[in-house]
Amino acid sequence: MEQRKSKIQIRGLSKKFGDLVVLDQLNFDIFDGEFLCVVGPTGCGKTTFCNVVTNLLPPTEGQVTVDNEPINYRKHNISFVFQAPSCLPWRTVWDNVKIGLEIRGIPEKELRERVADVLDITGLTPYKDFFPNQISAGMKQRVAIARGFVTEPDMLLMDEPFGQLDTSTRFHIENSLIKLWERKKQTIIFVTHNLEEAVYLSERVLVLTPKPARIKQEVSITHLPHPRNIADPEFVRLRRLITDLVRWW
Amino acid sequence: MNKSRQRITNFLYNMLSLGVVMFLWYLLSNWQNSPYFPRLSEIWNAFVTLAQYGDIEGIFLSEHIWASLIRIFAGFAVACAIGIPLGLAMGLWPKLYYRTRSVIEPIRFIPPLAWIPIAIVFMVGFNRYVFLIWLGAFFPIFITTLLSVTRVNPVHVNVAKVFGASRMYIIRKIVLPSVLPDIATGMRVGLGVAWMCILAAEMIGGEMIGVGRLILKYAELLRMSEILVGMVIIGVIGFIMNEIFIMVENYVFRWRSEVSID
Repeated sequence: MEQRKSKIQIRGLSKKFGDLVVLDQLNFDIFDGEFLCVVGPTGCGKTTFCNVVTNLLPPTEGQVTVDNEPINYRKHNISFVFQAPSCLPWRTVWDNVKIGLEIRGIPEKELRERVADVLDITGLTPYKDFFPNQISAGMKQRVAIARGFVTEPDMLLMDEPFGQLDTSTRFHIENSLIKLWERKKQTIIFVTHNLEEAVYLSERVLVLTPKPARIKQEVSITHLPHPRNIADPEFVRLRRLITDLVRWW
Repeated sequence: MNKSRQRITNFLYNMLSLGVVMFLWYLLSNWQNSPYFPRLSEIWNAFVTLAQYGDIEGIFLSEHIWASLIRIFAGFAVACAIGIPLGLAMGLWPKLYYRTRSVIEPIRFIPPLAWIPIAIVFMVGFNRYVFLIWLGAFFPIFITTLLSVTRVNPVHVNVAKVFGASRMYIIRKIVLPSVLPDIATGMRVGLGVAWMCILAAEMIGGEMIGVGRLILKYAELLRMSEILVGMVIIGVIGFIMNEIFIMVENYVFRWRSEVSID
């Protein structure tokens, strides 16, 4: 089997708030171009995990490195798709998507090409001049995803991005996400509490324990090709296996 | 109901409420039959006289309005020029506010009228008007700016931060656009207060011109019709300015689903 290159290294990562230990000694690697899902019971510290990994919250112990260098927003290309609605309401869809490229000082011509490309893949081109208040919640989340992908990040972290969407919209956007990832092959950490979503999307699932969160088990799903059939016996088996791992009652 | 139909309906209802008020005034003034409760026709005549022939000193109504407008704009402009940057600075660096609030907060509660003696002693001419109007308009603008900065959505800031944005970029491209609608609301409230201060300012201004001065002149003569003309002029100009402000807000901040209660 081909040896995959480690892109992101998480070593001894812990986060405490006073006496409350939320993350406890997390150690794992994420491979270059991998789609990794992190699942765990509600309240286990998934959002804290995202904030610590992206350095929005400083870790209490341990560190996150990208290509073996401590994470740095200026040096590394990081994108974060937040759980909460994050479209900037005063910017049109086009301007929202381009913000990461604008901050990184990408030349105008390249910027236009990249934004147009990602809007095309996510089906947002007809709405490029709309403001977020003129589009649906599902589209806003697609804008956030397009914004995350357009910078072609070293690490794209997604924190339950579809949590507030209905089933059919979620299914539609999940397929858009897979399409984007297959084309761009970015390294993705996708945090969710929806186990079916984890099996549907990822190459590997990392199951966390209840608080304090540790890694309970890793489940590889590389053998299931995309697009996945949720009625496939192997899909069902994996979903059951992960459900049993997450179950704490 | 679509937007334009809603607008027409609102307009018709507004005309109806205005008609009701005028009708009530008509009934009451006829019933009272007193020089202190002038009829609508008397108020209209006073308006025409003031516009065509001027007041007791021969100053035309348009000159009074123009003088007041200039004073309002000057005081309001100074209030914006100081209130917005100061509010932004104190919102971005809250230590500045917490370390000076013992000075700022008590001043906020002193009514502009209480400053009149100080304005008389230390200032002359145009500065007196500007100072008193500034006092009224400054705090609504300053306080809304200050509070709006502290309410900027942290997720929006984090979006830029994760992409590696500098602090200056975050201030320019995230904080400023976030707070502009609130600043506009503060400006609208400030403009209203500025109009409320015009009478106080023109009471001590020393010049015989201005809508506030017009009211005071006729108050001394107990001529209610002219006083009411002055009051209505202040109300109507304030209303028109407010409407213009709302139209600009609706266009500039069209990205907001609800801009303001208009």
